[in-house]
Amino acid sequence: MGIFLKDISLKGKTALITGATKGLGRGAAEAIAEAGGNIIAIGRNQSELNSLGKKIKKLKVKYTSFNCDVNNYDKIKNFITNLKKLDILVNNAGTNIPENFLNVKKTSLETLLNVNTKAVFNIAQLCANQIIKLKRKQGSIINISSIFGLVAGQKRTVYSMTKFGVEGLTKGMALDLAKYNIRVNSVCPNIVLTPRTKKYFSDKKYNKYVKESTPINKVVTISDVATSITFLASEASSMITGTSIIIDGGWTAK
Amino acid sequence: MLKKINLKNKTALVTGAGKGLGKACAIALAEAGAKVIILSRTKSDLDKVSKIIRKTKGSSKSFVCDVTQLEEFKKILQKITRLDILVNNAGNNRPEHFTKVKKENMEYLTNLNMKAAFNVAQLCSQKMVKAKNRKKIGGSIIHMSSQLGRVGCEGRNVYNMNKFGVEGLARGMAVELAEYNIRVNTVCPTFVETPMVKKFFKNKKFKNQMLKNIPLGRVAKESDVATAVAFLAADSSEMITGTSLVVDGGWTAQ
Repeated sequence: MGIFLKDISLKGKTALITGATKGLGRGAAEAIAEAGGNIIAIGRNQSELNSLGKKIKKLKVKYTSFNCDVNNYDKIKNFITNLKKLDILVNNAGTNIPENFLNVKKTSLETLLNVNTKAVFNIAQLCANQIIKLKRKQGSIINISSIFGLVAGQKRTVYSMTKFGVEGLTKGMALDLAKYNIRVNSVCPNIVLTPRTKKYFSDKKYNKYVKESTPINKVVTISDVATSITFLASEASSMITGTSIIIDGGWTAK
Repeated sequence: MLKKINLKNKTALVTGAGKGLGKACAIALAEAGAKVIILSRTKSDLDKVSKIIRKTKGSSKSFVCDVTQLEEFKKILQKITRLDILVNNAGNNRPEHFTKVKKENMEYLTNLNMKAAFNVAQLCSQKMVKAKNRKKIGGSIIHMSSQLGRVGCEGRNVYNMNKFGVEGLARGMAVELAEYNIRVNTVCPTFVETPMVKKFFKNKKFKNQMLKNIPLGRVAKESDVATAVAFLAADSSEMITGTSLVVDGGWTAQ
């Protein structure tokens, strides 16, 4: 640590990451572990939880995994309320079913609201209560939002509704949790190339749309987002709360 | 996965580097490995900053300059061969109630906070785009804005006008400079314990009133802002452009 430059170090901290087996969640877990943080990974795929564990343990930090669907409130509650250490939550599990507004299926709407809104709220609440109960003097919660939490996109009405909601939740939580020195922020990435979005990018028209919408001529990488998450998790951002880091190559600046 | 805040082989110019946030940014950037060019109107202040940078084994070059004197600034730029990062920091504030704002104060603040900020940014951008490998190595411009570039505050109407303007400038610049891989962002701090703010805080009633607006219950430290600036300067934020990093302890989340 320098005179004015704070280090992104997470030594001795414990981070819980949902949706940790793939994409942004996996990237966040690896980056936090690289910064010295211990990892609690929640995901639904046991073999991927195991392979993540192998990678994390190589970085000489502790690794715990829990195979659970984030919609399973009772199971998640039982797990979180029994944690002995918790400082950071990366509230990442989320999904998307792109459909034109006029054709959005009732089941799609329910799936997205369950995962992106209700589970996100429940897990944030459970973790905040646990961080307070464990008498940690500080905490950091990072909700994974999206540029579609700030602007609209084609076939993204439900996704935007849920992510705009996450932006509101982030600000509200930041106010209620400030007195416990728990900071709450979101990251808003552009469309990142992940296993889930791969199929979108294989559509030429969509590829062109993303390229033309992004002033910086690059696709956002998982590591771009993971680095911002780690910055928000660490003391390097100790006065940053109730806001969003937008990682979009200028998409929303226009 | 984790990109470090590393500025080796980068050259950064910081205006208003003699005191407060500019000083802290200059030192933080040097700590991250950048060669730093520091500008201020006061030679003795520059000498003090240079000394601190030398002590931490950093590298710096200083120039006495009033950034409102365009020709003066141009001459200094001619002496610089390389520029990758600009921290467009020089600024001031003279709080007055809107009905009482003196014409000379409005002009002084607007000339410094907007006109000089624009000119410095334009001249530095012109220099930066000339580098042959710019597209590959990228560049970063960070404007020192304020939470008052996002919300109003009593007695701050001119400063509000100036800093909202800087927010607009940053977005416009980001869109136009993206093709050169030069990123443009702002940092929006709440009240920071700088020499300028210490003067305002002599008024205890004002200080308490302001603290009440910061959910985290404390003012920002210079290092909070300097670290955010270093994060935006480095490749750790290489897909972040046209946005603001709000370092306000939750002030604007309300």
